[in-house]
Amino acid sequence: MVAAEAAGFIALGAGIAVGLTGLGAGIGEQSIGAAAIGAMAEDPKFFGKGLLMTVIPESIVIFGLVVALILLFVF
Amino acid sequence: MLKPEKMTRVVVVGTSDALDQTIENLHKLNLLHIIDYDEEEAGFKIGKPGSMAPKFSEHLVTLRSIENQLGSREEAGFDKKISAKELPSQIESTLSELEEEVLKQHNLMRSIETELKQNQDIEDTIKPLASLPLSLEDYTGYQSINVFVGFIDSNIEDEIKAETSQYELYTGEIEGKKIIAVAVAKEKEDEINKILQNDSTYVEIRPPELTGNPQAVLEEMAAAKAELTEKLANAESELVRLKQEYAEFMLASEEYLTIETQKSEAPLRFATSDHAFVVDGWVPLDKYDDFEKTIEGGAGNVYASKLEDEEVKDVPIALDNPKAVKPFELLVDTFATPKYKEIDPSLILFITFPLFYGIMLGDIGYGVLLGILSWVIMSKVKSGGLHELAIILSYSALSTIFFGIIFGEVFGFPLFNITHHEIVEGGILGIAGPNIWILQLPIHRFAEVKPLLVMTFVIGILHITLGLILGIRNVAVERGFKHAVTEKMCWLMILFGGIMAIVTAMPAILWGSVLNTQDPIFVSGIVLGIIGIILLVKGEGAIAIMEIPTLLSNIFSYARILAIGLSSAGIALAVNTICRDVLFSQGGVFIVVGILVLILGHTINLLLGIIGPGLHSLRLQYVEFFTKFYEGGGTKYDPFGFIRKYTEE
Repeated sequence: MVAAEAAGFIALGAGIAVGLTGLGAGIGEQSIGAAAIGAMAEDPKFFGKGLLMTVIPESIVIFGLVVALILLFVF
Repeated sequence: MLKPEKMTRVVVVGTSDALDQTIENLHKLNLLHIIDYDEEEAGFKIGKPGSMAPKFSEHLVTLRSIENQLGSREEAGFDKKISAKELPSQIESTLSELEEEVLKQHNLMRSIETELKQNQDIEDTIKPLASLPLSLEDYTGYQSINVFVGFIDSNIEDEIKAETSQYELYTGEIEGKKIIAVAVAKEKEDEINKILQNDSTYVEIRPPELTGNPQAVLEEMAAAKAELTEKLANAESELVRLKQEYAEFMLASEEYLTIETQKSEAPLRFATSDHAFVVDGWVPLDKYDDFEKTIEGGAGNVYASKLEDEEVKDVPIALDNPKAVKPFELLVDTFATPKYKEIDPSLILFITFPLFYGIMLGDIGYGVLLGILSWVIMSKVKSGGLHELAIILSYSALSTIFFGIIFGEVFGFPLFNITHHEIVEGGILGIAGPNIWILQLPIHRFAEVKPLLVMTFVIGILHITLGLILGIRNVAVERGFKHAVTEKMCWLMILFGGIMAIVTAMPAILWGSVLNTQDPIFVSGIVLGIIGIILLVKGEGAIAIMEIPTLLSNIFSYARILAIGLSSAGIALAVNTICRDVLFSQGGVFIVVGILVLILGHTINLLLGIIGPGLHSLRLQYVEFFTKFYEGGGTKYDPFGFIRKYTEE
């Protein structure tokens, strides 16, 4: 019973780690994305840099995922 | 490969009488990247455009406006080249005729459309009146009577009666709404109007000044409308006919006029004096001999010469890669064109992009579908960015199939038998995976998360190390080795020092075992890292310490290689489980539903599978890899000339 509860909490923790970081990445990306599109409208050459800037906050959710994977598979 | 094509600075000098022939030769060669002259030197002025230039551009503007009016250009079904010698006379005679015809049809269409709109307006107002027992001329044109018409819900006859006895009221109904017409004497007009306006359901109608029975008028209108619509369709089909008939002519003459405009405006980029001209530019080094021979042999007093010691600044960049690697130049150019002395990373992308893509998607079924998709795009679109993307996709498809075999996945179903928690799940082939070298196939992604996660970190470390090594090379070439050490080498030292320290300390961090601080690997790692940090602070200031954690985040970022793969394999597995265990087992109509779910689920997953791995593989290149060495900012090599598609000389 105790083991089952612990497994449940680990799964919950993993879910929270991915879910919250996903929200964070989304909030970060929305304003960068809008600004990047604006810059691209002025100068299409900005596409590469714009894409790069836009996906930078995505690392946050990857960190969340790493935490989740470590929780699920290492502990 | 790895470096842009070598260029040489060239100056072409000649006497004015040879100008036209030289422009002709330069254009045909399509080699010289001209540097526009900006009137810096005394005695030389910017040249004057050829006498035909205004006429060519005028024709070009006319032609493009015609093309706009006729809609998008279609390039299919055109393989016979038109001779450029016959075109000028054809353009003179045909262009204005075509313009007139297109304009005529366009104006006709516009006037028909206006008329249709007016008809529609009148029709809308007459329609309600048809339900009243009055002719259209009964509503207007009285001296002592006024007629109010409108929709109304409530009964207001009593109110009117209270105001005056001299009135006539007609009612009708159309589409469930009540409509009334009230005729009253002029002197009571204001009072009645007030009663009507005070009623909230009243909507006034203004009858048009027409005569006759409304029903008959409506029928007339409908007939006129049909006639106008037919005329409109005729004009439209006439435009389509013109477009088809003159498609070849328009494509060929646009090309011809573009070329002639380029040629006749070329002197605007040259330096000229009263009797001579000078053209400055860049030519690929290995093509210079041909260039010199053609230019000097072609026309009178013209000489070309190399400027050997010219400082290497603003050299136009022509990327130089084998045919297989060419498509990846698109990805490099999208980020930025490299500088002349920088490494051109196309070749590295050629290897790593499909590799990452394959590990992420890793499914034989999806790989085959992607391969077919890329083949279809390649055969439909013969050139341009989409064609190159399709080639990149086809490499990625091969890599996806390869890793699909390693992971043993076909549309999320196992290819080989897999044993998970001591339960054997039968695969499609019904055999256990083969043992190749030290690798026991298949590597089941859900069962082997931990080793695969470590593998992604190793890939990340290798990729970033490669980036930093290229960075050392780029900085060393541009600013000297000392800068390379304090800007890039220090990062390499911090990276490896950090890895050595963290790997030895890992057991202590995770499971609380005792950390052996005497471990030589741990100690040398710490020392290496500290030396790296000192060099970094020396090179970029103390603020750069803030950036050290990004190294860690960069490496963690490669976890997405596993993450994207798990999510796509997870979706495939979910779809299969729903179909096989939930729907198919119930039989009957559920089998049909199951097949639909199967097709829909895998289509969505495949679409996600194209976008997700593509973008994330690219992001790893752009954000994690390129930032270590790549600056970009070069000018693209754009030679003076034109590749003829529709005309020939």
